[in-house]
Amino acid sequence: MDALLIVFASGLISLFAAFAKKPWLVVSSAMAGLLAAIIVILNQLQTGKAFFDFLKYEGLLFDDLALVYSLAICVLALLIVGLGYERFKENPVHTGEYIGLLIFSTVGAMIMTAYTDMFMFFLGLEILSIPIYVMAGSNKTDIRSSEASLKYFLTGSFASGIFLFGLAWVYGATGTFRLWEIQAKIMEMESLSPILMIGVLLIMASFIFKIGAAPFHFWSPDVYDGAPHAVTGFMASVVKISAFYAFLKMFIVCFGFGELLGFWQNALVIMIIITMFVGNLSALRQVKFKRLLAYSSITHVGYTLLVFVSNSMGSVMELWFYMFAYGFSIVGVIGVGLAVNDQEDRIEAWRGLGKRNPFLAIVGIVSLLSLAGIPPTAGFFAKYIVFSSAWANASWLVIIALINSAISIYYYLKVIATIISPVESGQEKIKLSPLTIGVLTLALIGMLGFSVIVSWL
Amino acid sequence: MLLATLFESGVKIEHYMVLATALFIIGVFGVLYRKNAIILLMCIELMLNAVNLLLVAFSTYLGQADGQLFVFFIMVVAAAEATVGLSILVLLFRNTRSVDIRLFNKLKN
Repeated sequence: MDALLIVFASGLISLFAAFAKKPWLVVSSAMAGLLAAIIVILNQLQTGKAFFDFLKYEGLLFDDLALVYSLAICVLALLIVGLGYERFKENPVHTGEYIGLLIFSTVGAMIMTAYTDMFMFFLGLEILSIPIYVMAGSNKTDIRSSEASLKYFLTGSFASGIFLFGLAWVYGATGTFRLWEIQAKIMEMESLSPILMIGVLLIMASFIFKIGAAPFHFWSPDVYDGAPHAVTGFMASVVKISAFYAFLKMFIVCFGFGELLGFWQNALVIMIIITMFVGNLSALRQVKFKRLLAYSSITHVGYTLLVFVSNSMGSVMELWFYMFAYGFSIVGVIGVGLAVNDQEDRIEAWRGLGKRNPFLAIVGIVSLLSLAGIPPTAGFFAKYIVFSSAWANASWLVIIALINSAISIYYYLKVIATIISPVESGQEKIKLSPLTIGVLTLALIGMLGFSVIVSWL
Repeated sequence: MLLATLFESGVKIEHYMVLATALFIIGVFGVLYRKNAIILLMCIELMLNAVNLLLVAFSTYLGQADGQLFVFFIMVVAAAEATVGLSILVLLFRNTRSVDIRLFNKLKN
């Protein structure tokens, strides 16, 4: 609760700081708030005590799991706010609104990790989504940005409509909105009612929409492509973490036992296979950076969904490790994309990065290796953990996932080859601001030393 | 009182379920097939209102207030969503002078 209040307050402060017309003031208040939230969360994890304990509400329970997920969300949001600052030095008109919306969206993400009833989940989902609809369209004069915003808005609100319809059926079958009471009611049932099955399927479809897995993935390439770089990074990291954890929590707690478990897992297995192949095979022929990122993120959603079929106790922490490591890699590549700053957003514009700015080239190569899952990086350990725990329950699915990882190495290596190829004439060196260098260094530490840091905690 | 007499006169929970499902499906097909962005917004509202109807019916049927409480949350959030959606449409209208979604195809590869 403390961290939630701090982040919310820093969002308000950065909105009001916009009146001073100084972008650095807005960005630094937002970053200070997120940093304070990280420290508070770490403190609460160590001592187990919260300052605002008297503000308890049963719908919102910050247990250890919710805290570690909030920690990941705050760290990634901090890095993305730092990256976004570059843009505002040139065009400082809407800094306050942009940063404020980003912070409020982070608040929604934290609510989605801590919910224990459907009221809070629904509010968290909408607090997360509505600011992003606006942020995706924040390049007001660029028609592609507005188009991305409309597409995200339509698919997002369509998905929330489907979620609510499914929730209404579950409510009809169980008569409650609280997660643990739903679990108790379903356990009491002798046979599954069709009303409940419809509800579970619809809720699952809406989550599949939100995390962008096939067959409901078609919006994500367009939206990732049209949105500004930092917003794309936010959607690929923070939104995915919170949506995945909310998905896992709801389906383990409410529907994760007995006949019902097999019912939705069978549907999910088919979706996992389609997701991995669709993402990979479409990524092979992309020439634009953000589209490639979108398809690669669809593939990663496919790998991540393996934690849902592994049926192991540790799946929540495996998901955390995977998504956190993935978030660092996303911050790395998005940082490189922002610094290259090509109007057309072609991968070709990364040519000769090794000469133009060696630091950027290293960050880019390490994050691409981490996305591909090559050993010394965090992405490898994340994939290893997820695949090995899914092996016991669904080994043939893991084999399909391994084949897909092998395919994906091709398009990541193609980008790496572009980075280390020689400079063409007419390409200038790239200068980075100290803030960007700091953020990218943190991402680099995260990608290379993540497993060490986690084991040390 | 009115609802109670309706229940006695033979309107059962099944009728509400069928009606809400029909409204929801009309909304879904509207979102999938209409070309005018404002009508798309109205279809999404229709979907949410179908949900509201279903929740209220279940809430009355089960004899508890949770469902009706949820309806208020949905209405508030739907209003917020409609606000954002309409402002996105204004933004697009400034750029293209139209609200036909077939024109919004700049993001194809």
